[in-house]
Amino acid sequence: MRRTNRAAGLASRIGTAAVWLVVAADLLLVLWILLTSLRSGPDILQHGFGLPTSPKADNYTTALDAGGFARAALNSVLTAGLSSVVAVALAAPCAYALARRRSRTSSALTMTFAMGLGVPGQVLVVPLFVGLSRVDLTDSDLGLGLVYVGLAMPFTVFLLTGFFSGIPGVLEEAAVLDGAGPVRTFVQVVLPVARGGLVTAFLLQFITSWNETLFALVLTNSQGATTLPVALSSFVAAQQFNGLDFGTMFAGVCIILAPMIALFSWMGSRIIQGMTVGIGK
Amino acid sequence: MGRTTMSARRVLGAATAVALALGASACGSGSGSDAKAAGSFSYWSMWRADEPQAQVLKAAIADYTSATGAKVNVTWAGRDIAKKIGPAIAANQAPDLWDESDDKVYGTTAAAGQALDLSPVLQLQVPEENVPVSQVIPAKYFDMLPKDPSGSNHYVIPYEVVTNAMFYNAADPAVAAAMPTPPTDWAGLLKVCDALKAAGKACIASEGEDPWTNGLFFDYLLNGAGVNVAELSADRSGAAWDNPAVLTAAQQAEQLVKGGHLIPGYDATKFPAQETNWTAGKAAFYMDGSYVTAEIAKQIPAGWKTASILPPTAKAPDAGLFGFAIPKRAKNAAAAQKFIAFFLQKKHLSGISTTALNITPRADIPAPAELADVQKTLEAPTLRLGFDGVGGSWLPKVLNENYLDFWHGKITAAQFVAKCKADQVTYWQTEG
Amino acid sequence: MATTIESPPRTDAARGRSGRAVRAGVGPLERQRHRVFWPFTAPALVAYAVLFIAPVCYALWTSLYRWDGMGEMDWRGLQNYTLLFRDPRFRTSLFNTLDIMVIGGTITFVLSFALTLVLREMRARLFARSVLFFPSLVNGMVFGIAAGFLFSPTGPVNQALELFGVTTPPKWLSTDNLLPMVLGTLVWTATGYYTSIIMAAVDQIPDYLYEAAELDGAGPFQRFRHITLPCAWDVIAVCAVLWTVSSVKIFELILLYGGSTNAYPPVSSWNTAVYVYSEAFPQGTVPRLGTATAAATVSLAMVTLITVVLRRLLRREPIEY
Repeated sequence: MRRTNRAAGLASRIGTAAVWLVVAADLLLVLWILLTSLRSGPDILQHGFGLPTSPKADNYTTALDAGGFARAALNSVLTAGLSSVVAVALAAPCAYALARRRSRTSSALTMTFAMGLGVPGQVLVVPLFVGLSRVDLTDSDLGLGLVYVGLAMPFTVFLLTGFFSGIPGVLEEAAVLDGAGPVRTFVQVVLPVARGGLVTAFLLQFITSWNETLFALVLTNSQGATTLPVALSSFVAAQQFNGLDFGTMFAGVCIILAPMIALFSWMGSRIIQGMTVGIGK
Repeated sequence: MGRTTMSARRVLGAATAVALALGASACGSGSGSDAKAAGSFSYWSMWRADEPQAQVLKAAIADYTSATGAKVNVTWAGRDIAKKIGPAIAANQAPDLWDESDDKVYGTTAAAGQALDLSPVLQLQVPEENVPVSQVIPAKYFDMLPKDPSGSNHYVIPYEVVTNAMFYNAADPAVAAAMPTPPTDWAGLLKVCDALKAAGKACIASEGEDPWTNGLFFDYLLNGAGVNVAELSADRSGAAWDNPAVLTAAQQAEQLVKGGHLIPGYDATKFPAQETNWTAGKAAFYMDGSYVTAEIAKQIPAGWKTASILPPTAKAPDAGLFGFAIPKRAKNAAAAQKFIAFFLQKKHLSGISTTALNITPRADIPAPAELADVQKTLEAPTLRLGFDGVGGSWLPKVLNENYLDFWHGKITAAQFVAKCKADQVTYWQTEG
Repeated sequence: MATTIESPPRTDAARGRSGRAVRAGVGPLERQRHRVFWPFTAPALVAYAVLFIAPVCYALWTSLYRWDGMGEMDWRGLQNYTLLFRDPRFRTSLFNTLDIMVIGGTITFVLSFALTLVLREMRARLFARSVLFFPSLVNGMVFGIAAGFLFSPTGPVNQALELFGVTTPPKWLSTDNLLPMVLGTLVWTATGYYTSIIMAAVDQIPDYLYEAAELDGAGPFQRFRHITLPCAWDVIAVCAVLWTVSSVKIFELILLYGGSTNAYPPVSSWNTAVYVYSEAFPQGTVPRLGTATAAATVSLAMVTLITVVLRRLLRREPIEY
């Protein structure tokens, strides 16, 4: 008995050390990217690691301006932000109805949405491109945003259905007895209680869309419509034939990372908590 | 069972309905963009707005607009354009003008009969110079190209030409000592490598992950042995690989690998790690396209002097083009053609040399100083494409993977040839 | 606690969840719900049908044709599928996809459980958890770029290894090691993600269960087996499905890990997503959309099958506490 305890104690000490090692590695990686973004391109190529001797903020001005990252950042904020709002706005009533109504149709619909979770994005790429170009929505943030709304449906409905199931029905019963209509019950009684879930769904969707690369790469091409991942990818691709300024590229990487870091240090626990609740119910 | 097929059909029906609806609304919005200023057209560029070639093109476009009043609607799309042009044509969204390297123009559009024959452009006058385009762009650049289904090889009009060679720093004393005169045969090159090794410098910097630049050694060796890569690739039975000259070429390339002439660690890095090592003087030669001078312009040390040699077996230098192409479905093709002739004026095209540091197809525009040698090799009366312009996805599907294994020393020359032969047979079976 | 997804409608009433004892079809609330069901679900359904289901059907249909996207479509029936399985690159891609899913998944979940165990007893656990979660928010391309520096022969990883006496480190970035490297990166990002979720679920398990177990003399592993695992089972099961599904979608990580210039990465590191992309958007040749969509269909079929099997295997009676 005692020996197992000691062994377990040792194991947990090793485990703890390993956890801190990984944590340190993660933090160092972010720090390295930040520092490198302040160095000059040739310097980075000669020595991948080093402190910025004379910190260069002009990597950022180059990236934002000539590199097109400023416009791309705006596009990213718009597409990711709006598509996530729309996705949650569409999914919330649907998930609520699915969670509350128990019928054959309702479970069939829930199943249909859940099946979407299993569809790899690559299946949709070609058809969406052909479809969007027919309606003149390729190379446009509107088209890309629409695609993100569609892609968001399975997971958002799935997550929110779990969330609404966890909310006791007592409140609604009271509201109905007070004579409130269904829409008013939903908006004034259910939504405020479910706020945490809605915020989680929104944030998760925002993060996914912010980093989404495959569809953005395929559906946008002019520098006026591309999002940040595409800007980065095309910036890297230009290294062939004209060389690449690694300082500027790392600045670009930071521009993609910064909002994620900010968002996460602010809302991190909430995201994780919300996800677990939505998934577990 | 019957139920599922029923519902499947219904779903398919619904999908078709949606597709039709999408299609119908597309027809409504498709036309109507033509009613703009006469001579206007749209242009998708392979360059990003921040690249030097884009600066040159921008200046020319501004000049064109002020001279003719026509608007050019430019999209600086960057390199991904080669992947997008096909789908854009399919969706009838294609631009009136685009540009890429000759192999991409051919592969993505011309091979499928979707590129406009630009022969009429050759008859257009270059503005202010009173000569037709055919007089400023040598015919040899078109002669080397593969023909499209209609038999034309004028689907791309070049404004930048490149050639692949072994580049080195002529100001490096170690290189000068090892190579007093350029080698004239393969053994001579190996001798240079040995001398460099004795002096403690690697002979060749190689991005081990890149099959294209490393494969050029094999390509030039095959060229020297009289083997045409395009013909080699077209043999469905794979028997062409049994030609002893192919094995000999592979064995010669193997001497570089086995002789330790490639920079240590070349198979464990990512581009541009070895290009960087090369500019830092850790190796003597670097095989690449002549655009390499533009790639390294920002990182070379003071006193660096770019020079180049061809692998000594080469019978003819290879060449590649970057140029304009027009999709067959372009709505304003005539306007785009006019602009091509306009851009080929000396005053605009010179920018490709002075600003973008590359070689132009016009013999009367001097190349940047570092590329003077290269421009001379391009004066050869006939040129060939890299890998003899081998088409389709033969390179990625047959050669590349095997060549990398070979180049990393994992398989021998004989095994490499045998594997390529086998893969080529499979390739032609699945290509059907 | 039952997952809403699968529970058949009738059993739910029997389960009698708290505060929802309304019998079907009775009461104003139920009638109201009945009335708003379609208005509430319709907008999401329409978006889903147009932007998701219709494209999937279109893909299935395209996979039966030979089509370059520009010219006419040629009917080929199932020939695209037979060609696909004769293409060694597709077989490699398919095996790699399975490799990532199974091997990567096993390692990820073993590590996640281990971390959950460790983190439970740790100080500053919320901070550690947040940092561990963070890599999953980072675009895969960033890892591809960073790896070129971190794992170069003279990079910090090798320098660190030298401190421990490893003088001949592996050639991290050689083409042979691409898939293991991609896998490693994936495990690293996914472990943090799933650990965080599982840990949050574990946090909801009431402490008295553990205290009781401790009084009965259960060690940490027994407590994990008999309390943590069963109580967090729902969440774990969903996580397993999420992993299966998302492991198939991995794309930009592979694309930029191996393909540093405009070329595609070596085939030995491809998964089906890269295969589809390379057929639909090839470098310098005409697209083969029929093969591309056929390959996509095969991976869809594979995921569906595996998910169904997995759900069967992981299904358990829910535990109330």
